[in-house]
Amino acid sequence: MKKLLIAMLVISMAVAGGFAQEKVTLSVMNYQQADQAGYAEDVAIWQKFQQDNPDITLNIEVLFNEPYHQKLQAYAAAGTMPDVFYVWPGARSAVVHEKKLAKDLNKLLGAAYLKDFSAAATNPANQLGKYMAMLPQSFTYSSVMYVNKKLLADNGFALPKSYADLKKMVPKLKAKGVAVAMLPNKDAWPMQSCLFSTVVGRMAGDAFMDAIVAGKARFTDKPFVSALEVIANMYKDGILSREDVQVGYGEAAGMFASGKAAIYIDGDWRVSSYITDKASGKALISPEAQESDYVLLPLVSIPGEKNPGVVSAVAGTGWAVSASIPAGSAKELAAAKLIKYLYSPEVQAIRFGTGAYVPTRKGVEAVVDPLVAKVPLFYADNPKTCYVIDGVLDPAVYNVLNDGLVAIGFGTKAPAVVAAEVQKAYQNWKAAKK
Amino acid sequence: MAPGMASSAGFATKTIAGEGRMSRKKHHRVEEGRAYWAMVLPAFLIYVLVMAFPIILSVVLSVSNYDGGKMFGGDPWGFAGLRSYAQVFSDPLFWNALKNNVYIVLISVLGQLPLGFIFAYIIYRKLVKWPGFWQGVLYIPNILSVIVVGLLWQTIFSPNGPIAEFMNTMARAGFQSKLETVFSGVGGFNITDDLVRKILNLAGPAASQWFTDPVPELKDLILSYQGSPHALLINDLCNLFVQKWSPEFLSKPDLAMLPVLFVILWMYTGMYLILFLANMQKIDTQIIEAARIDGATEWQVMRFIIVPALSGTIVNSAILAISGSLSSFALIFAMTGGGPSRVTEILSIYMYNNAFLGRPNLPLANAISLIMVLVSFALIAGTKALEKRYGGKEE
Repeated sequence: MKKLLIAMLVISMAVAGGFAQEKVTLSVMNYQQADQAGYAEDVAIWQKFQQDNPDITLNIEVLFNEPYHQKLQAYAAAGTMPDVFYVWPGARSAVVHEKKLAKDLNKLLGAAYLKDFSAAATNPANQLGKYMAMLPQSFTYSSVMYVNKKLLADNGFALPKSYADLKKMVPKLKAKGVAVAMLPNKDAWPMQSCLFSTVVGRMAGDAFMDAIVAGKARFTDKPFVSALEVIANMYKDGILSREDVQVGYGEAAGMFASGKAAIYIDGDWRVSSYITDKASGKALISPEAQESDYVLLPLVSIPGEKNPGVVSAVAGTGWAVSASIPAGSAKELAAAKLIKYLYSPEVQAIRFGTGAYVPTRKGVEAVVDPLVAKVPLFYADNPKTCYVIDGVLDPAVYNVLNDGLVAIGFGTKAPAVVAAEVQKAYQNWKAAKK
Repeated sequence: MAPGMASSAGFATKTIAGEGRMSRKKHHRVEEGRAYWAMVLPAFLIYVLVMAFPIILSVVLSVSNYDGGKMFGGDPWGFAGLRSYAQVFSDPLFWNALKNNVYIVLISVLGQLPLGFIFAYIIYRKLVKWPGFWQGVLYIPNILSVIVVGLLWQTIFSPNGPIAEFMNTMARAGFQSKLETVFSGVGGFNITDDLVRKILNLAGPAASQWFTDPVPELKDLILSYQGSPHALLINDLCNLFVQKWSPEFLSKPDLAMLPVLFVILWMYTGMYLILFLANMQKIDTQIIEAARIDGATEWQVMRFIIVPALSGTIVNSAILAISGSLSSFALIFAMTGGGPSRVTEILSIYMYNNAFLGRPNLPLANAISLIMVLVSFALIAGTKALEKRYGGKEE
């Protein structure tokens, strides 16, 4: 009898232990800024997860911009990666991909879950490490012409289709104190990312960039120099203004909204600057004007282009799970649960609604401002994409290119000189890698 | 007790006493040693962890092939020789950054110090009214946040800032008056090819590139204003042709540092003013009064009394200025970020860019930081030599 009682006690304790919820703590590094559109909604997303999952405690560290990357590098060096972290698919998060610091999400999430995402998002080839270290939330077009259709019409111009159309606008629009196209380049990366990548795609194509990366072509070859010449000509012909080389990236969205330029060249992510702020009900461009007066267009056709209509695009940012979490552990289950929540249709709809991005998850619908609604249509109208250069080249190389494009903007360096400098940087980088 | 015994016993007693003393001494020494280590060890460990280890790690990394990831226990990394140093010395950006640092050292030593000294002398000798007011005015920039100062001057020099606004207004006024002269020559709205050519000549060659066929296109544009107020045409032609002022000189390596150097001069001169003024106030005023009674001019008072009395302060200020110049980062980072095109980079920003931006290159960044240390040592040795020669005269 005594033995039976003891056995029952042991069994009941084991059963109770089995059913008791194991409390798991996840360290998370979130990329967030309080003055970004959709901040309040983003905060609410995290709060909801914590409320719905009392068995999971989230230790969230929030950083933005360079401090985020620096901290992640420090964690990588110390071997203490957070359990869940925000990551870039390319060279920006090179250490994560190359050192395989993140779990393969293909295995963690499974094919059944990933079938609800676009093929581009789940293609490991779109990530630096050629495995699915992260799941891109969006597939970003980095080169979009935001066109003030009304301003053009008021000055007697139709929507531009060619370089000649843009050049024709210069005298009349300049006389009205309006720039034809605005591309702020004080931060050096916007020109490369938001215009030059598309120009290279048009003039040279991805095959040429592949050849460059493989060392079978050179930056000093004609296609690349021609692409640089297109940028130099845009400044020389007055389509782009040299003073914009000194304009900070954050300043330009407001300047375009106030009618200082007919066209604004930026990535598709810029739509978030124009959406209505839910708290104040204000928008840089009213939803009515977004609907009737503004359109999103690809870069116009340029003289000498070989690949008409291509637009630079790249897999967007997303979430990763630390490779150091033991497989099959409660922590891994919790991390997978968090990832699945962050990519759930509900959360993606909120993010889409705040204009953060157009989700890679299929079938996500949200009530969005008209300009945001135009982004998926832009994708559909422009299916041919090309590389974004900073997603293909090493920073040691593309930083030199970025600086060269600034110099071209100022008119202080010729395209051939910049091409030679980039080639030299590439050779130095190659030599250092040996 | 036999003397021999006594002696023997005495020896034994002495030996035991001696051993006791020895043992006590030894115990003392052990105790002292323990106490010494108990007191020194925490500080020594803190020093090793906080100072020595990072320095040694920095040296090790600078000659390694570490390329990210877990530093200890991750992918193995090893000795790569002086590759990173060779890379630094072959990089033109390094030499540009070093040159910019030299400019800052020069503006600090040859600008801030003499100006600070002169201002201090003027205030000390009450050669201006309200010396306290001027002292405050000159010192205020020094107490402002460097980030605030950096952003303030960045705005002032921006293409939409007050300098650009002023330059644009001036350029516009000049062009407008030339245009008026051209139009008054023809009288009325009589637009001829010759008039259009004159306007294009006024605008300069760059403007012609905006047109495919400049003369007929500009003529058509001007004719489209027929019936509109003349002032509107003039205004729009100014919009079209007046080149907006942009700090393009910032892209030229030799000129880009000028605004930065000006701000450094503006910001830190006040600090040296206070240093010099405080030391001038220690000088016995009777000496100065006696010199003045003997007919010494202000220049002579400064040259033969104040400067010798402050020679030690001047040398110490020079050391401060040099070390401050080499470690400067925040002001320039906030003002230019090292741009445009990295022409205003200084060594610390150059190191930061290699250590943190894009794909971090820690061996390279550590090599840069160690080169910075060596440059600092060289400059400090130079100033110490100066101090030996000119210093120590301060009363």
